[in-house]
Amino acid sequence: MLLIGGVVAAVVAGRAEERSTATKTVRAVIGSEKAEFFADPDVVDALAAKGYTVKAETSGSWAMEGLDLKGYDLALPSSQAPAVELAGKYKVTGTLPRPFYSPLVVVAHKNAAGVLAANGLATLDEAHRGTLKMAGYLDAARKDRTWQQLKGSEKYGELTGTLYLSSTDPVTSNSGALYLAAASYVENGGKVVADDAAVKRTAPLLRKLVSVQGAQQAGSDAVFRDFVSGSGNPLVVVYESQVASLLREGQQPDDLVVLYPDTTVNSDHTVVPLTEDGKAVAELLSQDATLRDLEVRHGFRPHGGPPEFASGATYLKQELTGVHQAAVPTSEVLRELARRAKG
Amino acid sequence: MSRLRTRRLLAPTLAALALLTACTAQEKPDNRDDNAPRPGTVRVLASSELGDMTEVLDEIADDTGIEVRPTYMGTLDAVDLVAKGEADGRYDALWLSSNDYLRLRPEAARKVVSETPIMSSPVAIGVKSASLAELGWEPKDVTWKQVEQAVQDGKLTYGMTDPARSHSGFATLVSVASALSGAQSALTDADVTKATPRLKEFFTGQKLTSGSSGWLATAYKRRGNVDALLNYESVLTGIPGLTVVRPKDGVVTADYPLSSLASSDGTAREDVRRLTEALRTDDIQRLITERTRRRPVVASVPVASGLDTGRRRELPFPGSLSVAEGLLDAYENELRRPSRTVYVLDTSGSMKGDRLAQLKRALTALTGDFREREEVTLMPFGSDVKSVRTHVVEPAYPKSGLDGIRKDTAALSAQGDTAIYTSLRKAYEHLGSGQDTFTSIVLMTDGENTTGADAADFRRFYDGLDKAARETPVFPILFGDSSKAELQGIADLTGGRLFDAEEGSLDGAFEEIRGYQ
Repeated sequence: MLLIGGVVAAVVAGRAEERSTATKTVRAVIGSEKAEFFADPDVVDALAAKGYTVKAETSGSWAMEGLDLKGYDLALPSSQAPAVELAGKYKVTGTLPRPFYSPLVVVAHKNAAGVLAANGLATLDEAHRGTLKMAGYLDAARKDRTWQQLKGSEKYGELTGTLYLSSTDPVTSNSGALYLAAASYVENGGKVVADDAAVKRTAPLLRKLVSVQGAQQAGSDAVFRDFVSGSGNPLVVVYESQVASLLREGQQPDDLVVLYPDTTVNSDHTVVPLTEDGKAVAELLSQDATLRDLEVRHGFRPHGGPPEFASGATYLKQELTGVHQAAVPTSEVLRELARRAKG
Repeated sequence: MSRLRTRRLLAPTLAALALLTACTAQEKPDNRDDNAPRPGTVRVLASSELGDMTEVLDEIADDTGIEVRPTYMGTLDAVDLVAKGEADGRYDALWLSSNDYLRLRPEAARKVVSETPIMSSPVAIGVKSASLAELGWEPKDVTWKQVEQAVQDGKLTYGMTDPARSHSGFATLVSVASALSGAQSALTDADVTKATPRLKEFFTGQKLTSGSSGWLATAYKRRGNVDALLNYESVLTGIPGLTVVRPKDGVVTADYPLSSLASSDGTAREDVRRLTEALRTDDIQRLITERTRRRPVVASVPVASGLDTGRRRELPFPGSLSVAEGLLDAYENELRRPSRTVYVLDTSGSMKGDRLAQLKRALTALTGDFREREEVTLMPFGSDVKSVRTHVVEPAYPKSGLDGIRKDTAALSAQGDTAIYTSLRKAYEHLGSGQDTFTSIVLMTDGENTTGADAADFRRFYDGLDKAARETPVFPILFGDSSKAELQGIADLTGGRLFDAEEGSLDGAFEEIRGYQ
């Protein structure tokens, strides 16, 4: 297990710092994809209005276990499994609040999405939105299918070589690990992988999904940026929130199709409250109407009711109908899957 | 396949690194005292190519007050430094052309906490416009297979940077190997082995090698008989007369991630975060693409005009160190044309003592770096050339050649005057012309020319050489009491480059020159 050690950048508390005398400071360690959220001045204000200044530092979700969280009020990894581990380590009891989530999606360039659809591997319900058929894709991966073998690909010079989804490194990064969680669920006949036999059964395919990619990026931001800059693989596994966040900036990228895997997993942002103040902030993130709106603005889905993604309705599904959300294996199993996949 | 495993692959000495900085960067090399951390100043260990970001960084300093203090270094050397822990506490951030190679070295990857791509540039081929017309190529449709065919037909020669020292060279090598091996996904050892004959053929077309992109462009211009250069698109678009082609069947792209280091403290990491944020604003992304011809990573900024937006397949970078190093090893020892080098070594009286000891140490260290098939000639001189000893590193028994070099090195002794030009002339005569190798001359002297032919004599001699012989550059090393003007003159005349062993060390200079041999 490679821990990308230590806490990263302190996210500036912005405006609220000036009035910090009136608020309680809450120290949090969060997954990097939420750094923009906590740095947003509107979020800072909304928290300050309730009497809190959150000083957030970022860390890889799986790396939080390696940190000493003494003096922190809460941890907010991007997945339930590492949160459960942390709760065990710090003897936090009770249900862990899960204020919002974001499903794993595949961003595709238009040509690639079109070819997948023409070959029955995806369906498109809008020019920029569709569904990826996981069983079909995994079958293609198992058989080392290349783009050249798919009809309609000959028109596009960039579509050659093995068909695969790019993800982050599953050993260090949550989104890469969640991709394996989704794939292993499908490969295991629609059941979450929970024992050695299932690990053994699914490992060869997972190994294939990872080894074709060669060197993998360490973070979900990097793979998404590569995609946006027009380089990199035409199919990339990212969080829906990353796409929503891009669309929020007013972008309407023409060469972007969002494919929702018909079986996917959610990045379930889960709070591990370490103090009473941490608990109070967790409560606010789940319940406060202003904060919930801001969460949606940053592309997250608050639990309880579909979000109104104001922009990007043609790219994103408002409701996740037709998308099966698979359960994620325990962190122990998931790490074993990641380890075997890396080979 | 027998390969030389003793070579210090990708592991130059620290001294070499310090020297590299001195030679390739405009900045003064960092000295430890003024490298202390300062709030608002980010100490960045950066790929040499990022020297073109000065204007962008100045703009950021004006806007945000964050100053960047860069130390430039080759990407692979920088990774090595990080892996050894020698970047800890000395740098706040790492900014390489790509972290692909870093990720293959867990002990280096562990030092990085977060990374953010800033811009991108793919490997491309810059083809001289006349050659392009002759080949009848349509720039947007060119494939690596066509390039290979043109090389086979003797219609295309090219230059590229040394993959063991420069990431642009490494990325080029991966692109070529992936495309020509027919590998459908990330390269494996088997792919490399299978593709070896084709790659060997392909690299017969390489007529120019360089340790840096800058010298590659200079040498290309000077020679005038090389048809193309392989490098990053951003580098090639800056060279007049080249049409830049991104092969349709795939490229490797550099994405320039700014990475924060685990060893830095909270304040420094906050500065790095602010710097990252500033680099990704629309205004700065626009400035980047316009000034450096790299591609933006935000959707709201279009690529600079003139850069083609057509999609290209991204060739996966090898996922294991064994594949990456195996490929590099194959390139050095099997695929590329071998090199022939004459070391013209000053062993005049003034070298006596510590200087001679330094020379012996540096040369002995270098024997760990010579490639298979390489021909090395030692030509020590004083009042005249004292001896001419040639050794070849034979793939079947590399040790005997290397032992020969070590033995001759140990036997060097200091006496006599300094006949620089007479000795250089003999080096050219020894090399002759017409062999299919990379030829070069290294000149190490600790003083000025005191006897024999003078500069004017040498110029006349050089001008009288045939064109092929004139392509052999002299790489002089500034050392001891040698004259910078004199040595620069020799470098300029012969199309070489001056290396400085005064800022760094003799080992470092010899080591850096390897990239040009």
